[in-house]
Amino acid sequence: MEEYAVAIREKCTYFRDVLRVLIARDFKLRYKRSVFGIGWSLLVPLAQFAVLYLVFNVMVPLNIPHFTTYLFSGLLPWTWLQGALLAAALAIVDNRDLVKQAGFPVALLPTTTVLSHLIHFLLAFPILVIFLVSDGYRIGLPLVALPLVIAVQFVLVLSLAYIVATLQVRFRDTQYLLGIVLFLVFYLTPVFWDDTAIPEPFKSVMRLNPVSVLLDGYRAILVRGVWPNSLPLLAVAGGSMMVLALGFIVFSMASQRFVEEL
Amino acid sequence: MTEDAVVVYQVSKRFRRYHADAPGTIHEALMRGLKKLMVAEQFWALRHVSFCIQRGRTVGVVGRNGAGKSTLLRLIAGVGRPDEGRIEVNGQVRALLNLGAGFHPELTGRENLVIHGVIGGLTRRQVADRSDAIIEFAELEDFIDSPLRTYSSGMQMRLAFSIAIHSSPELLLIDEVLAVGDVAFQRKCLDRIAHLKAKGCTIILVTHDVNTVEQLCEQAVWLRAGRVEAYGPSETVVSRYLSAAENESWQHSLVNA
Repeated sequence: MEEYAVAIREKCTYFRDVLRVLIARDFKLRYKRSVFGIGWSLLVPLAQFAVLYLVFNVMVPLNIPHFTTYLFSGLLPWTWLQGALLAAALAIVDNRDLVKQAGFPVALLPTTTVLSHLIHFLLAFPILVIFLVSDGYRIGLPLVALPLVIAVQFVLVLSLAYIVATLQVRFRDTQYLLGIVLFLVFYLTPVFWDDTAIPEPFKSVMRLNPVSVLLDGYRAILVRGVWPNSLPLLAVAGGSMMVLALGFIVFSMASQRFVEEL
Repeated sequence: MTEDAVVVYQVSKRFRRYHADAPGTIHEALMRGLKKLMVAEQFWALRHVSFCIQRGRTVGVVGRNGAGKSTLLRLIAGVGRPDEGRIEVNGQVRALLNLGAGFHPELTGRENLVIHGVIGGLTRRQVADRSDAIIEFAELEDFIDSPLRTYSSGMQMRLAFSIAIHSSPELLLIDEVLAVGDVAFQRKCLDRIAHLKAKGCTIILVTHDVNTVEQLCEQAVWLRAGRVEAYGPSETVVSRYLSAAENESWQHSLVNA
């Protein structure tokens, strides 16, 4: 019994250490020979923010209250989801050398990409705080629910990451298809628009989108300063966990053949 | 302990040759239906391979190109799985399977060292403690902070070898990589292998250099077209292998004459 406990503890230390060096590797590779370095984590969402703000608040105003915070609190989680999934698609095929390494825990690769994009998300978070403060945000108790919403998003993104990583090994155009799907989902999700004016039954259908549920959770806390609607979030969490379990099983089965397919 | 370090039991490995026009994309798969995903033909890279290696033994694997030596070593390392049979490995495995395996060309030698030390099973603390020794053994003090793409193949091999031997292996698998080093470094590696051997490390060595096999290994496996042709004391196996090779080349020259 004791032996098992020691073995499990060693395994956990090993996974933690490998995850740490892989995430560090991710960051080093991303910013090698780049002038702005870590600044790129901020520049991408900021550039998108600038364009959408200009179009939908100045040129064709949507008249959404607190538009700056509304927009940025939607864009930031979206950037995490999109960036992590696009990177996860390449997590196996771009790391064939690691996958062919003796004893390498392949299953950590999709987790690595989701975690390193979570770090980008957290690095850009202070900018959101600046927007919030300048918009007159007052700290309230619902803020304690924020880590939970982030956790739900983590599980959702992770569950999809294992699926796209597995698919990409067999079908190399998965990444392009994913790009198109993400493009569509971006416009079908209230990132820069507001769904209050949408007529039924479209509104109810739109709200089945797990990303809208998440964004609504973020905005309840950050823009409206109220507790997020817990039932839809729980549903997303539960659904994501099921997809994650399924995706992980499929990934594990497929991973036995990764070495030959790379 | 007389426990076996490696048990290879009735192992077969099949490689599939897909249709040359097998769909590589979802689009193609949808256009043609899933039928074309079927395997066109297959061949056995290894067939019913069985042997045991006792803890602390050093075993050489010889055979012609394409005999399945590297495939066998990969399977023992846990890279890929056998289609039939089973492989049991007891203890920490370190493998030098192909040159520069997993090193990233854009990262420096030191960055690669940390990544590979940790993947190989050392904690980050242990890597930090041993990195000086690793760099010194690899004779890379002056280059360790340069990107790996600037390294020669010999330098990459030295780094990979040095990391592997400094991560306290219980089973060390070496596939042909030593050939890249210069004579002095090769000698150093062989010394180090002898040292690991003395400490009880089990070693499996794939090489075309039969002299190394005779000097270093107590036992040898001769693979021929995916099957074990002979397994036993290295002198016996090597001499049989050599005479067969001579025979084959003689026959070959007759056919061509």
